[in-house]
Amino acid sequence: MEALININKLNLFYGTFHALKNVSLTIPEKAITAFIGPSGCGKSTLLRTLNRMNDMIPGTRIEGGIAIGGTEIYSNEVDVETLRKKVGMVFQQPNPFPKSIYDNVAYGPRLHGVTSKKALDEIVETSLKSAALWDEVKDHLKRSAFGISGGQQQRLCIARALAVNPDILLMDEATSALDPISTLKIEELAQELKDKYTIVMVTHNMHQAARVSNQTVFFLNGEVIEYSDTEKLFSNPTDQRTEDYISGRFG
Amino acid sequence: MNIFHDANRKQIAGRRRTDWLLHILFVTATSIGVIALCALLIDILLDGVTRLQPDLFTNFPSRKADGSGMKSALVGTIYMLLIMAPVSFIFGVGAAIYLEEYAGKNRFTRIIQLNISTLAGVPSIVYGILGLALFVRLLALDKSLIAGALTMTLLVLPIIIVSAQEAIRSVPKSRRDASFALGATKWQTVSRSVMPSAIPGILTGVILAMSRAIGETAPLVMIGALTYVAYLPEGLKDSFTVVPIQVYNWLSKPQVEFQELAASGIIVLLALLLLMNFSAILLRNKYQKNV
Repeated sequence: MEALININKLNLFYGTFHALKNVSLTIPEKAITAFIGPSGCGKSTLLRTLNRMNDMIPGTRIEGGIAIGGTEIYSNEVDVETLRKKVGMVFQQPNPFPKSIYDNVAYGPRLHGVTSKKALDEIVETSLKSAALWDEVKDHLKRSAFGISGGQQQRLCIARALAVNPDILLMDEATSALDPISTLKIEELAQELKDKYTIVMVTHNMHQAARVSNQTVFFLNGEVIEYSDTEKLFSNPTDQRTEDYISGRFG
Repeated sequence: MNIFHDANRKQIAGRRRTDWLLHILFVTATSIGVIALCALLIDILLDGVTRLQPDLFTNFPSRKADGSGMKSALVGTIYMLLIMAPVSFIFGVGAAIYLEEYAGKNRFTRIIQLNISTLAGVPSIVYGILGLALFVRLLALDKSLIAGALTMTLLVLPIIIVSAQEAIRSVPKSRRDASFALGATKWQTVSRSVMPSAIPGILTGVILAMSRAIGETAPLVMIGALTYVAYLPEGLKDSFTVVPIQVYNWLSKPQVEFQELAASGIIVLLALLLLMNFSAILLRNKYQKNV
């Protein structure tokens, strides 16, 4: 597997708070990489640097670099709109717009200039199919997105993210607000999507990381403690702190 | 064994008495407001209902009470609304969008914010003086419809800005995040994600501000709106009058007939206000259902 994302000596500060300390990582293409660690360890912060969502928090300062496919994303070469089109994101709480299912999925393509009804219809259908939601909603695409269940809403948000044709999909604890069955569906979906997309997920749930991911990164206090194949990290961690965390001694 | 034997019945009776007295006090406080309002309404209705005839709406004011109407005042109020509503909407909502979505949270915006909140409480006559100096004199608009409407716009702007800001602020951050994460620019996010959720709340604020404006007299007296207008304004620079000024004019006359006319003018104004507030409530309810 080739590395798609290269994070090089990244330091991030919120004002005076040093949230990420000298993080260096490579994230492989078309695989699932999971970020685990206790609350406040910086895993979500790192995820949000990948599509520059941290830019919007006043007082955020970044040192070091992140390159995606060889291009430095914090350089002038990349505008943030294009970056976010290529790096989609799914949030912790399902956050559909108060619009119809159709308009939710079509929101992104419309932003980027797709206007033809036929093209939009097609994108909506493929995206909903990719998100394994099409069969459940195809007969009522015009209904409000608030009328479907939380799990369906989250898959709708995945469809919405896929509709702008990203290469990378960031999932920020995307199942933590869902029931076990919906969680399972999203996990299965992630497994299917990794054939076409590079997935980076933050999870609170170690078992989920162990079940779903190919690589796992363990964070503590803004530092990367250990990074390896998921199987190795969970069966044979090299760092004592990793072992303590995965065996439930803290966190 | 009686587990209640140590109850201090006397102390409890005292507590209950206080409770009962305060209950009475609160009911009285509420009723005074309601009774005063009802008395006012009944008094006005009794005085004015006989004059609520087609003449009132179709005739111009006249020296004779019989056949005197408030056509010019009603039309003046409506024209003023028609100018004021779009102008104050554009500037008010524009300012609110800037303050909530674009402006950084620094000392400068905090000062602006404080100023706007203060302006919302400035007595309306002060706006009249400002309008007189700015529109009537400096821009040489004279005692015209446009000068009046712009003065009123200034008066309602702070109210609209504050209420629009509240409506915009109440849109969850997650909706903005969702939009930005798809590669939207600020304006795309504001126009496609924030505004659709905020617009009913904004409209409610605008309508309430408008209903305040049509009841205002002082600033228009200040800029010289006429009290006796026997024609309809035909252009922005024509002189004009509005309903509350017409009422004021009638009230200042000694004859009973004119007092009755004033009462009927008040009824019309109240009906207009009720209608506007009612539509604001309808909008709000619709909004709550959608979210």
